[in-house]
Amino acid sequence: MDGTRTGEAGTSSLIMDPECSRLLPDLCAVLADPRQLVADDTCLEKLLDWFKTVTEAESSLLLLQENPCLVELLAQVLKLQDVSSRVLSFVLRLAGLFAAQEHCFQYLQQGELLLGLFGEAGPFGQAAWTVPTVRSGWIQGLHSLTQHPSALDFLEDCGAIDRVFSLQGDSSLFVASAASQLLVHILALSMRGGAEGYPRHQNGDWPLCAQKIINHVEESLCSLATSQVTQALNVLTTTFGRCHSSWTDALWVRLHPLVARLLEREPIPAAHSLVDLLLSVARSPVVCSEEGSLWETAARTLNRLSQPQAGPLILGLLKLQQCPQALRTRAFGLLLQPLACVLNATTQAPGLPGLLDGPVGGDSAAVDTFLSSKAACVGLLCQTLAHLEELQPLPQRLSPWPQAPLLGAVVTVLQLCNGSAAPASSVAGRLCGTLAGCVRVQRVALDFLGTLSEGSSPPELVAQVFAVLLEYLESPDSSPMVLRKAFQTTLRWLPSSPKTPGCSELRPHTLLFLRELFPVLQKRLCSPCWEVRDSTLEFLTQLIRHWGEQADFRHTLLDSEMPELAQQLLRDPESYVRASAVTAMGQLCSRGLHAIPTSPDNPEAQQGLLGEFLHILSTDSEGFPRRAVMQVFTEWLKDGLADVVFMATVLQVVSRDLDWEVRAQGLELALVFLTQMLGQPSLHCPYAVAPREAAPLSQLPKVLQTLSRVRLLDFAFRALFDCDRPVAQKSCDLLLFLRDKTAPYSCLQEAGDSPDLASVESVLRRWRVGEQGQPLEDLEPESVLAILRSMDLEDLQDTLAESSDHVEKSPQSLLQDMLATVSILENEADCY
Amino acid sequence: MPEIRVTPLVGAGQDVGRSCILVSIAGKNVMLDCGMHMGFNDDRRFPDFSYITQNGRLTDFLDCVIISHFHLDHCGALPYFSEMVGYDGPIYMTHPTQAICPILLEDYRKIAVDKKGEANFFTSQMIKDCMKKVVAVHLHQTVQVDDELEIKAYYAGHVLGAAMFQIKVGSESVVYTGDYNMTPDRHLGAAWIDKCRPNLLITESTYATTIRDSKRCRERDFLKKVHETVERGGKVLIPVFALGRAQELCILLETFWERMNLKVPIYFSTGLTEKANHYYKLFITWTNQKIRKTFVQRNMFEFKHIKAFDRAFADNPGPMVVFATPGMLHAGQSLQIFRKWAGNEKNMVIMPGYCVQGTVGHKILSGQRKLEMEGRQVLEVKMQVEYMSFSAHADAKGIMQLVGQAEPENVLLVHGEAKKMEFLKQKIEQEFRVSCYMPANGETVTLPTSPSIPVGISLGLLKREMAQGLLPEAKKPRLLHGTLIMKDSNFRLVSSEQALKELGLAEHQLRFTCRVHLHDTRKEQETATRIYSHLKSILKDHCVQHLPDGSVTVESILVQAAAHSEDPGTKVLLVSWTYQDEELGSYLTSLLKKGLPQAPS
Repeated sequence: MDGTRTGEAGTSSLIMDPECSRLLPDLCAVLADPRQLVADDTCLEKLLDWFKTVTEAESSLLLLQENPCLVELLAQVLKLQDVSSRVLSFVLRLAGLFAAQEHCFQYLQQGELLLGLFGEAGPFGQAAWTVPTVRSGWIQGLHSLTQHPSALDFLEDCGAIDRVFSLQGDSSLFVASAASQLLVHILALSMRGGAEGYPRHQNGDWPLCAQKIINHVEESLCSLATSQVTQALNVLTTTFGRCHSSWTDALWVRLHPLVARLLEREPIPAAHSLVDLLLSVARSPVVCSEEGSLWETAARTLNRLSQPQAGPLILGLLKLQQCPQALRTRAFGLLLQPLACVLNATTQAPGLPGLLDGPVGGDSAAVDTFLSSKAACVGLLCQTLAHLEELQPLPQRLSPWPQAPLLGAVVTVLQLCNGSAAPASSVAGRLCGTLAGCVRVQRVALDFLGTLSEGSSPPELVAQVFAVLLEYLESPDSSPMVLRKAFQTTLRWLPSSPKTPGCSELRPHTLLFLRELFPVLQKRLCSPCWEVRDSTLEFLTQLIRHWGEQADFRHTLLDSEMPELAQQLLRDPESYVRASAVTAMGQLCSRGLHAIPTSPDNPEAQQGLLGEFLHILSTDSEGFPRRAVMQVFTEWLKDGLADVVFMATVLQVVSRDLDWEVRAQGLELALVFLTQMLGQPSLHCPYAVAPREAAPLSQLPKVLQTLSRVRLLDFAFRALFDCDRPVAQKSCDLLLFLRDKTAPYSCLQEAGDSPDLASVESVLRRWRVGEQGQPLEDLEPESVLAILRSMDLEDLQDTLAESSDHVEKSPQSLLQDMLATVSILENEADCY
Repeated sequence: MPEIRVTPLVGAGQDVGRSCILVSIAGKNVMLDCGMHMGFNDDRRFPDFSYITQNGRLTDFLDCVIISHFHLDHCGALPYFSEMVGYDGPIYMTHPTQAICPILLEDYRKIAVDKKGEANFFTSQMIKDCMKKVVAVHLHQTVQVDDELEIKAYYAGHVLGAAMFQIKVGSESVVYTGDYNMTPDRHLGAAWIDKCRPNLLITESTYATTIRDSKRCRERDFLKKVHETVERGGKVLIPVFALGRAQELCILLETFWERMNLKVPIYFSTGLTEKANHYYKLFITWTNQKIRKTFVQRNMFEFKHIKAFDRAFADNPGPMVVFATPGMLHAGQSLQIFRKWAGNEKNMVIMPGYCVQGTVGHKILSGQRKLEMEGRQVLEVKMQVEYMSFSAHADAKGIMQLVGQAEPENVLLVHGEAKKMEFLKQKIEQEFRVSCYMPANGETVTLPTSPSIPVGISLGLLKREMAQGLLPEAKKPRLLHGTLIMKDSNFRLVSSEQALKELGLAEHQLRFTCRVHLHDTRKEQETATRIYSHLKSILKDHCVQHLPDGSVTVESILVQAAAHSEDPGTKVLLVSWTYQDEELGSYLTSLLKKGLPQAPS
């Protein structure tokens, strides 16, 4: 039933309905009138979106025949000399959409409209052609219409392809890129129609359009102008990336010599694009990579390019499983060069087993390049570390993976950055000077260090990792961003620290680390920088979540001042920090590391944490801390740490909250409470909690009275008419759950007296129209059940399921708005 | 050739709506602003970041991102860019922008994700994580992004915390204005920049052809309309976004209510007065002088007349003014109140900002009076509808004023409509005689630059110059000879002796040589004597010597005569000279080629 309804709603917005048909002629007239201006630039985009869905759903020819104003619009715009660039671009794209269907294409061709728009007589001479939007529209229009063989003939006859060639070098990068994409599209379509399945293409076998494009690409590859070479390489990269038919293999065989010849030039033109092409070909499932020509070219490219230029090629090759082992090894060696340089410079003993020995590590030219300038050194190191981070988790990474030397290298890099490394050579001294305090390298090195936690490492190196992490966490020079990364990396290393299976206690060195860590964290919690306080609280929360059950950790934590400091941060001036403090304190309570809150009636609790939380919930001016409080309360309720008085107090506060996300969370809390009272919701309920004993049927009146007493029902019914849709939706779900759970009881009751519902219904009616002032009296269980039965909650749920902007999105609304806003321009310039 | 490249990257196929500009300066890449377009519900709302770099990581390519102010068309795509697209580098903005940005982003996130059910949008946590990557800057503080790149913020007016940024690498610099306002308003001052003479000034040109009526007029108009409505017992609804314009209007109403001693209640819907109070107090130095001065006696942001709104108040009889979110009347409380009040012609709704197509705000502003709401209900709008723009952008006059202040070598216009910008471009070019550019979205402007490279001069060289009695004059360029050496990445001009010493090189002498054939049957010695006499008579100002070995010298030029091996009647003259005497050497050679005067018999 639901599906049908949604389906109908979906279809009705797609096809052209009479109301839209009625509005279209006026709109077309406005668009064709250069004196009229369409105010909002998004409208034409949205109009095209709509036409796209319409033409995908029904015949374009029929659409044009039933709405002749559309063809008139195309024709009229063709005749205009001073047409606005926006409208012209729109019309070009629209014509392309229509002409995508072959019979409609023929129809438009009869009127020579397409020739007028896209052929030699097109808008090229007009002033509007100088506007990139128009050129972009022309290309997009052509792209849309190039869907069938007739279109290919058309492109051939009207000389459009030559113009697309020239637009590849357009001053607008969007136009240039679109032109390139269009060529690939034409090539692919042309090949689909012609030479599918041919094992090898000789010159004559390529269809005309394809031949023309390939010739152009060949010419461009031979050009001395780098820009033209780039264009050709980009077209080929996209072709091999998108087209995986057998003809692409033939294409590569044909073009490979020209591509390889680029490597003979000095300098290599368009090196980045060349790398992209080689990788695109290498990834193609069709191109026969066993011939070796590709790998040979890749190897030559590696030799010719500088290290920073070769970076993407190295990474690409290492990600390819089918890449020959020798080439992979060579690429990996090159990738590691900067780290080799770092290690060679900082290690007393020569040679580093397993990773960086061999000629690569000691290449003095490579060292010179690496150290030539600070920018070069930092850039290369960042690239290397980022690439290694990307490779580390991949199954196809090089085996054996040199975990230990890499770990050693990254620790050394971090030490060089924070000045704790003792330079053992003059190169190391230069490195120290270059990397000292370099935040860029620190960030990426910490990220990579985090990834390395996945592998197994020798204990002495792990100790070094913790030592360097502690240095970063301690150092007053660490920027907030670096500190945050250090926290994240520490978290990744903590669980992987070696521990005896089955032993729940911490290993001594982890414990030692934590003991050293806590004073650092305490200091960080008092940082003047809110980012640092917040990251520290987030880190603390994660630590407790992970280690909170372990006795040693608990003792160490409770011995420290951390809980008190975290509690003090509940009154931090920064709302993000208050929210994180709430979460951290919530976590402490859940793990029994802070006094468990009792009922709000309890005077101690009033002054304690619960009191503070309730204070935040009712007075904090920012949403984040209030939302955090609600999340903690929900967790507590799930853990059984809350009672009826607690519920009543929280719901009373939360129902008045101005932030709808807090109200929505209040309903989530209410649902958990309901679930605990009535048992699990049937199927697909996201609020799964530990199974509890549900109340037996006979207890239901009592349960309902409790719900009424904690004012859960008042809150839920009120929320049903909340002005914010997500709140109403949640409330609807909750009431449906309640109705389903109480259905058996309702059957029993039906024979009995019918309760007086008039007053309740009258209140609900007033709430529905937004008059929420009147309170709901305490409801008798029978009344609750009767109201639930009387409401069409499913219908309401369907209505609410529609997003709040479904009216905004309707085509009628769009057409009406466009017509209404003609020539109203003032508020466009305004900012949000 | 060094150059500065600028590419507006608004989004493929669109012209206006959001700000995002890529600047390359001396090999550094900076992204200026990272705005979003609220008119779209899909990826088109964000700039197309795939064009920034085709090859390699964004974080490696971009050296930093700079955000000019908290409006969403300048910062709305930032969490998407940093948390979803994957930029992990530094982001710079002023302290107030960092504080206020998340509130606006959060507002929009709630609209997009929760109300419209959109996927692929950033979360609250992402907004926070993004804000933690921000490095907040103070006005006029020079911030080193790295060893070469530095940035500096200048006051821009417009909104609290808005700044213009100077981006500098070596001697090359670019100034980006963001949105700015050259006239002070009720709570902010006017934009100001020093005469920094950048290579390029990138300025917004929203009101490129407009000389705007004063903001005071618009404010008076606003107050008059509100006052008239409440006087006749009507209710006024002002839909606003969380922070920004709302506070400005609050100050306006508060002051007016105080002055006129009005008792009609003013409500603010979502606890925003506290927020505003908090932020404006925190950043009091960013407000204008008047507010700073009066702050000690009375905090302008502690509102006496403006109270928190409760949903039930909307049904209260009698006049009232309510500020409610969201600003475009598309959902939530503002829409609920609008529905209640729309049917009464005594009431008024004032839209103080932009509304995207499709929203109720957009519809009523375009004059539509019968609105289809959910469930095919039709709402008839009888209440009065007013649009009031309070946006604070520089008009044509203000833009010209700023160009005059900064004295750039080139100007580039962004954030405006092509036709209007063309007018301003001509005006700037005429008045300031500088090149003005207005690239379309996706078009790159390339400016060649000639960076000045500092060179140190050795004391020895300077002393030598002084010893020659040539005293330096401050404003007069002068020629100085020396040897340019590069050591430790620095250039220095030193004497050649010092250069040899510092670089550990030996001195070599370079001589030019030439052979001249002379018909003379006499002995070599006699020929030499004749040459000496001849040269002595012609080159009276030069030192001509006849050396004992028979050779003749003129300054560094050496002439030796030898017999021709095959022709005894011909003498071969070997002439050689150093490069310092090149002119004299050439002259002397040509002289000898003409032959010697006949000897007296």
